[in-house]
Amino acid sequence: MHAHNTQQEWEDYRQRELRAAIPILEKLGFELESEQPHTGGERFLMAGARDVGGGGYKLVLLGTRRADGKRVVIKISSDKEGIREICTERKARETLQTLKFAYQMLRAPEEVLYATHGAHIIFITAYVEQEQAFLSRPIAEQFSLALQAFKAQESVHATAYSHARAIRTVFGIWGVQEYLDSFDAFCAAAAGNDSQDRALAQSLAKARAFIVEHRDTIEQYCGFLTHADFVPHNLRVHEGNVYLLDSASLHFGNKYEGWARFLNFMLLYNRPLERTLLQYVHDNRTPEEELSLRLIRIYKLGKLLEYHTGALSKTAGNLNTLSKKRVEFWREVLESLIDDRPLSQEVITRYQRERDSLRSVEEKKRQEALH
Amino acid sequence: MRIVLATPLYPPEIAEPGPYIKELAKRLVKLHKVTIVAYARLPEKVPGVHIVAVDKRQPLLRRLISFFFALLHAAREADIIYAMNGASVELPVALLSLFMSRPLIIRIGDTAAHERARSGWLRSIERSAFARAHRVITDGPAPRPEILPFEAFPAEKLGAYERSWEEHLRMLEDLFTHARS
Repeated sequence: MHAHNTQQEWEDYRQRELRAAIPILEKLGFELESEQPHTGGERFLMAGARDVGGGGYKLVLLGTRRADGKRVVIKISSDKEGIREICTERKARETLQTLKFAYQMLRAPEEVLYATHGAHIIFITAYVEQEQAFLSRPIAEQFSLALQAFKAQESVHATAYSHARAIRTVFGIWGVQEYLDSFDAFCAAAAGNDSQDRALAQSLAKARAFIVEHRDTIEQYCGFLTHADFVPHNLRVHEGNVYLLDSASLHFGNKYEGWARFLNFMLLYNRPLERTLLQYVHDNRTPEEELSLRLIRIYKLGKLLEYHTGALSKTAGNLNTLSKKRVEFWREVLESLIDDRPLSQEVITRYQRERDSLRSVEEKKRQEALH
Repeated sequence: MRIVLATPLYPPEIAEPGPYIKELAKRLVKLHKVTIVAYARLPEKVPGVHIVAVDKRQPLLRRLISFFFALLHAAREADIIYAMNGASVELPVALLSLFMSRPLIIRIGDTAAHERARSGWLRSIERSAFARAHRVITDGPAPRPEILPFEAFPAEKLGAYERSWEEHLRMLEDLFTHARS
């Protein structure tokens, strides 16, 4: 019943918001494309699921500007939290352009329109065409593009009093205590979502103890600009340049948070790239940095486990079975990281097979559009 | 020799002269007693090197005063002070010279800070520090080449990097010895 409610709630919101959005967008000179891959599939599970940048109901739509046929990405919301997230993203983009202590400029899609219309907030940016999807590029190119984006983020390091003053109100500034508090919240939520899973509770307790043991190493590399959700669907590549999407996920935190999210993702989607990036860190960075990356990967897995245990009560049928498989799989990944041993490829392949057989057609379509 | 390295930037800060100072300390500590006074909070450690960190997150005046006293304390037993340019270090080293006489060498490793000191009060601070220095140098070793997974191992570049450090250290040893005599 609860599963049905969550999905139905999203469906109702989507229909309501779309009905209201279409005339507003028309008045502003935009029309929607017939295919809207970002509103379907498992999207209903994601509202409020962010650890950085807020999170609420909003629609991400693809459209065109009538005047010149320019393709655009439209974010629209009338939901309080959704509005807050869109505002945060806009402020983050604006502030980034003014940071005097940034050594490199981060690229973001051009802003086309930012407006409020009644209860709605609308934020429209140019759609960055890419010659090829990130994951279908040769691995050497994926490596070099990812590294380019990581280095651009790392070049923004807020260390001085004046830096902190300039960014505190726009971006969050996270130190080890914020990461620990957040991890504790993941653990509590995961325990609440699935109180029967003792193995998960034990793994999370082990992970927390490991993070606490090395808290100084996390703190040491804090103060850097990092994209908390740095995955292929949040970056676009055009003419060799990386454009970062979803600026609401940018904050000042551990230098390796973006790396950690990316590597956890690549463990599943492109393992050779994950191994290559790890080798790069090993060869070129300090041992403390290598440990910091491992710690933040563990932290990020806490978030992922919270998310997937949260899906258990919101889903039914195949998606519910898939959520259970996801919890099992990511718990195994967590254990392997704590023990600092590579996860067996067999575990990954088995999970991928199960996932593909349980995913809905609509979700498969959404995934294709994302990556 | 007892050497004090004074720097506005130090790893985990990635901008120069941070990585240079860490690498220099690693190499100097094999033969000398090395202390680093740096604006940092949780600096990366170097075995055998004493690091005094002055928290940059304090308001400007407070951190300048903290750095001055940290430098004063470290310099008491030092034979030489090797400072990196930048107003936040230049001002304390210039003030220090009023209280004690220690040979001072300044290296311009942060060219952007040097550019900013072309006019105004930053210029006065830089001039005042440079006037008290035994020598102001710009020399530095080659940057460390990266080992990249899809490229050949940069053996030649790493060799050149090592040689540039050996040459740089020889130059510094001569300079330090000369400054003390």
